[in-house]
Amino acid sequence: MLDLFAIKTQIDSMVADERALQDDFQKRQNLAMGQFKRWGPDWEILRRKIEGSRTSWLLPGLLEPMDRRYPLPLRPASISVAATDGSQIFSDRHEISSCFLINIGYVLLHYGTGEKPLMSSKPTLYYREEDIFEEWGGRRHLANRDMVGFKRRLMEVTDVAELALAAREEGHQVLALSDGTLILWNLEGRPQDFKEAYLETTLEAFSDLQKARVPVAGYISHPGSQELVNALKLGLCPLEVADCDRCPWKAENQFAMTPAEVEDLQADVERTGGLPCTPIDGINDAILLRQLLQPGERTPVFQSRSKILEEYGDHYIHFFYLHVGAEIGRVEIPQWVAEDEELLDMVHACVYDQAEKGQGYPVTLSEAHERAVVRGADREAFYRVLRDMYVKNNIKTQVSTKSFKKRHASI
Amino acid sequence: MDTVKEKPRRRSLREFMGEEKGTGEAFGNGAAATHIGEIVESSTTELIAESAHLHGAPSFGQFVRVGEEMPVVGIVFNVFTHSIEPNRRPTAYGKTEEELRLEQPQIFELLRTEFEALVIGYIDERGPVQVLPPQPARIHSFVHSCSDEEVQGFTRTDDYLRSILNTSKVPTDELLVATLRRTLEAHGGSRSYLVRIGKELSRLLGDDYDRLSSIIRRIAH
Repeated sequence: MLDLFAIKTQIDSMVADERALQDDFQKRQNLAMGQFKRWGPDWEILRRKIEGSRTSWLLPGLLEPMDRRYPLPLRPASISVAATDGSQIFSDRHEISSCFLINIGYVLLHYGTGEKPLMSSKPTLYYREEDIFEEWGGRRHLANRDMVGFKRRLMEVTDVAELALAAREEGHQVLALSDGTLILWNLEGRPQDFKEAYLETTLEAFSDLQKARVPVAGYISHPGSQELVNALKLGLCPLEVADCDRCPWKAENQFAMTPAEVEDLQADVERTGGLPCTPIDGINDAILLRQLLQPGERTPVFQSRSKILEEYGDHYIHFFYLHVGAEIGRVEIPQWVAEDEELLDMVHACVYDQAEKGQGYPVTLSEAHERAVVRGADREAFYRVLRDMYVKNNIKTQVSTKSFKKRHASI
Repeated sequence: MDTVKEKPRRRSLREFMGEEKGTGEAFGNGAAATHIGEIVESSTTELIAESAHLHGAPSFGQFVRVGEEMPVVGIVFNVFTHSIEPNRRPTAYGKTEEELRLEQPQIFELLRTEFEALVIGYIDERGPVQVLPPQPARIHSFVHSCSDEEVQGFTRTDDYLRSILNTSKVPTDELLVATLRRTLEAHGGSRSYLVRIGKELSRLLGDDYDRLSSIIRRIAH
């Protein structure tokens, strides 16, 4: 149990710190806005600087002036939106079996036609030895939370593609909407064969969609990303070509300098309260754009420069931010959608419409979530059925003492 | 890891529909397609059924027949439509139903119509019996609307009226009026039938003349 009295003093100091930050926040926000406007006409200089620099943070690929705004296009009168979402019961070694379960929710809503929607879910149980232990990079890996998460994300993407294509086959004009990023950046650093297998399956799904000209988009609500702000930070860097590893304002890089040089640099640090790029730290893209975009408007399309995308080929992920009314959302699309004006407009109009229908969050995604979600009570029920079936069938197994104690704590 | 290693055959829309049934369409097909609902709660005296269609419940006072062997007969006394998800409730959209069907189609999948019926008897091999059935209707058995012939057959005698008057949870007089309007219709609006139930009601209601005349007036109206 949580002792709220004990935590109270810690909450107090946390709140005090947050308040101090907030006072400074408006200043940072104004500075960021000023920089954003300043780079509008000079965007090509910034683009070249981005391309030449080596920063420790992610930068966007600029394709046009950053501060350009696009008004809301008209949504096609009849359009279908396909969405999936997944949920799981993780394998639990304190339970009677280390099996795990993935539940995918499917939603296909037809607009403007009055056709009956498709709303369903499909659970899959993984219990075989080869499900629970996977061999990647020559090592056996237990299907831990991480692995199950990957598997689920993959199913969400491939299934939304299949669902959208099945609808396309029946003559609907479709948008495939996925919850979350389309950039599988967390595949970085995984065993090569694992990474390749996951990438290949994902990109194949994108290719199938591309062939059928069915746009796919990943929607990120409340995005914390700050690529655009990072570009502005780069803009603040006085160096022509930035290289964060050799940043002269960092003390560890000053060993070979003359005392006079060091003194100059230290003066800069004292003036700005950090490195030249730090005055706009703490601002993210959504905070910045909230002041700029009107509901329905989107930013231009930017290229993501995430390293994993080098392996995406034609499906190189681009993104834009969209004011959906309640918030600034981030929409990610493959290159072939970004370059096809009709598809891009369709994504822009539909995502806005979806969020409006869902009171701030795309309605198909929230319905898919409702289909998919496995709540605590469902999980309990699942294990209860499993235990009953094990007993009925006389299967020998053990429940850990920890798990038993969780259920029956004695006094 | 099958999802990664082999590419499954592409699925059709039908395969995505899963086992969940929508409430907007009749579930099942073939012989079962004529039913209007399915029992979801059952007791000796009352039934609750899920309507096969949203807003498709039989009307208040209608006769329904449940099950195949020894069908139970009931009268609908309550119809309600609600959200199928316990923690989500409908909110006002300010749009017509037609607009909602075009632009918010999911909401109709999340609503369900249910109806409650008062059990008034059953039908065995010898015909209608106006006595509570020995066993309640089974959960998941189908509910059918009674045809005029079936209503006529069941209302050859009027003992079921006492069952209606004796229940406590129902707006008794309202149900009595609705039921008798239905039976009168099944009897072709016959004058002699109206006289017969008038006599029966005056026996049942004793000296409450005002109540009796109000009921009869409303039946004949």
